[in-house]
Amino acid sequence: MKALQWQGVNKLAVGQVPDPEIRNAGDVIVKVNRTVTCGSDLHLLGGYIPFMEKGDVLGHEFVGEVVETGSGVRNHRVGDRVVVSSFIACGHCYYCEQQLFSLCDNGNTNPAITETLWGQAPGGCFGYSHAMGGNPGSHAEYIRVPFADVGAFTVPDAVTDERALFASDSASTGWMGADLGGVKPGDVVAVWGAGAVGQMAARAAVLLGAERVIVIDRYENRLRQAEKFSGAETLNYERTEVEAELRERSGGRGPDVCIEAVGMEAHTPGAQFLYDQVKQQLRLQTDRPAAVRDAIHACRKGGSVFVLGVYAGFVDKFPLGALMNKGLTVRGAQMHGQRYIPMLLDRMASGELVTEHLATHTMPLDDAPTGYRMFKDKEDDCVRAVFLPN
Amino acid sequence: MKPMTRAALVITATAALGGTSYRVITRRRRSGAAPAAGRRHVITVNRPLDEIAEVLPEPLNAYHGTIEVQLRAAPADRGTEISARALDDKVSDGDIRRLLRESRSLLEVGDVLQPGGPTTEPTALNSALRGATRHGREGGLL
Repeated sequence: MKALQWQGVNKLAVGQVPDPEIRNAGDVIVKVNRTVTCGSDLHLLGGYIPFMEKGDVLGHEFVGEVVETGSGVRNHRVGDRVVVSSFIACGHCYYCEQQLFSLCDNGNTNPAITETLWGQAPGGCFGYSHAMGGNPGSHAEYIRVPFADVGAFTVPDAVTDERALFASDSASTGWMGADLGGVKPGDVVAVWGAGAVGQMAARAAVLLGAERVIVIDRYENRLRQAEKFSGAETLNYERTEVEAELRERSGGRGPDVCIEAVGMEAHTPGAQFLYDQVKQQLRLQTDRPAAVRDAIHACRKGGSVFVLGVYAGFVDKFPLGALMNKGLTVRGAQMHGQRYIPMLLDRMASGELVTEHLATHTMPLDDAPTGYRMFKDKEDDCVRAVFLPN
Repeated sequence: MKPMTRAALVITATAALGGTSYRVITRRRRSGAAPAAGRRHVITVNRPLDEIAEVLPEPLNAYHGTIEVQLRAAPADRGTEISARALDDKVSDGDIRRLLRESRSLLEVGDVLQPGGPTTEPTALNSALRGATRHGREGGLL
């Protein structure tokens, strides 16, 4: 079958790979209808998460149709239209029972790498390096979905593929940031990053009753989307002093909840960006944490910071003093999609949550390398590039 | 862990995280915090003690006489702690890690997740990573 393969740092190509097969009784094979780029893929593409092999298939956010089921599958039949959580979880371990699905004990076939790096291993993910299980990704005509009764969800008729696609990861991740960040009615919430995940986090905060939701970015087209589709206020950090503005908009307190949806390649104006870039290129730090620093500094005393952006290793100039002395709660996680996708599909069906605007560019899988270039360089105001493998 | 796997992982970790992490990893190993060969390995399984005590899963049974296995109820109803250590030089720490991980999966899920089909090809740059993933359940800190 045809698939988009990682060929090396900043090299992608569409090639032929073997068709996926049922390997466990709980597997299904899904014919991919739509699959989408994610900002976290850029970390793989750029070599910042160097557990990739030449030929790995990218993609972890997708919707499709079940074409084959393993003997142990109970919840799905051939022909079901499904959206699949990007993280692979067994549904039976301690962490799955706590609904912390991305921490699944049994979903990663290569726990040694992440256990060595981080002390414990999270679960597996589609198309996200051999540290996360080396599972072939969704930028392909077909994909094997393990633990399908746990991680694949039938899409209601009222929800189109175009909308359901983003329940797979962006909307789940964003909702998790607002939910586990502890957003309550009346809160002031700040979201760093107006990409798909940031917009979804902002929309979640609005739907959870936040009084004000403020999204921060430098791309005007994304900020306009956040205003229009999330119901958020916006700040362009290249035109505004963000922390002063946040303070002013929160009665001098600072936001109650700060959600970081940027990740390890953060951009920031001024010398901080140069400093972080140099240290990252010299491998003196693996990640550029500018947005996390800002979130911690801006957050109100006793507030909450949730890290949604993907980080791999170590950072420099982490404001531990502010964190400790302001009594902050800092959390982070890969997405617990299985916890949120059914609820998100209901909200999508009711029209509370719309996502189609995120798919600014749709193209055949053959054009995926071009799509990634546009996505990475924000060409033509690209927010997300969606591929049609079939 | 087999020596080759250990080396592959350290190389991979070094490549992944650069000088900072390399120092962290090597310092931890020198200080003795890393697993010592022949130590007892422990895993917590989300199943009650009486259920596991009745019949040990096949991966552990298969090593009967060459490993020592102990069971203990985990606190706060978190299931059962299974610990194991080698009684025979032919059983490596990597073997025990794999046995424990596969046993947990069998007890909790009834199956052990298999890797996806290969779409990659060996190159000079990925040989260390391929070496590590060939033994993905044998390494780590467990």
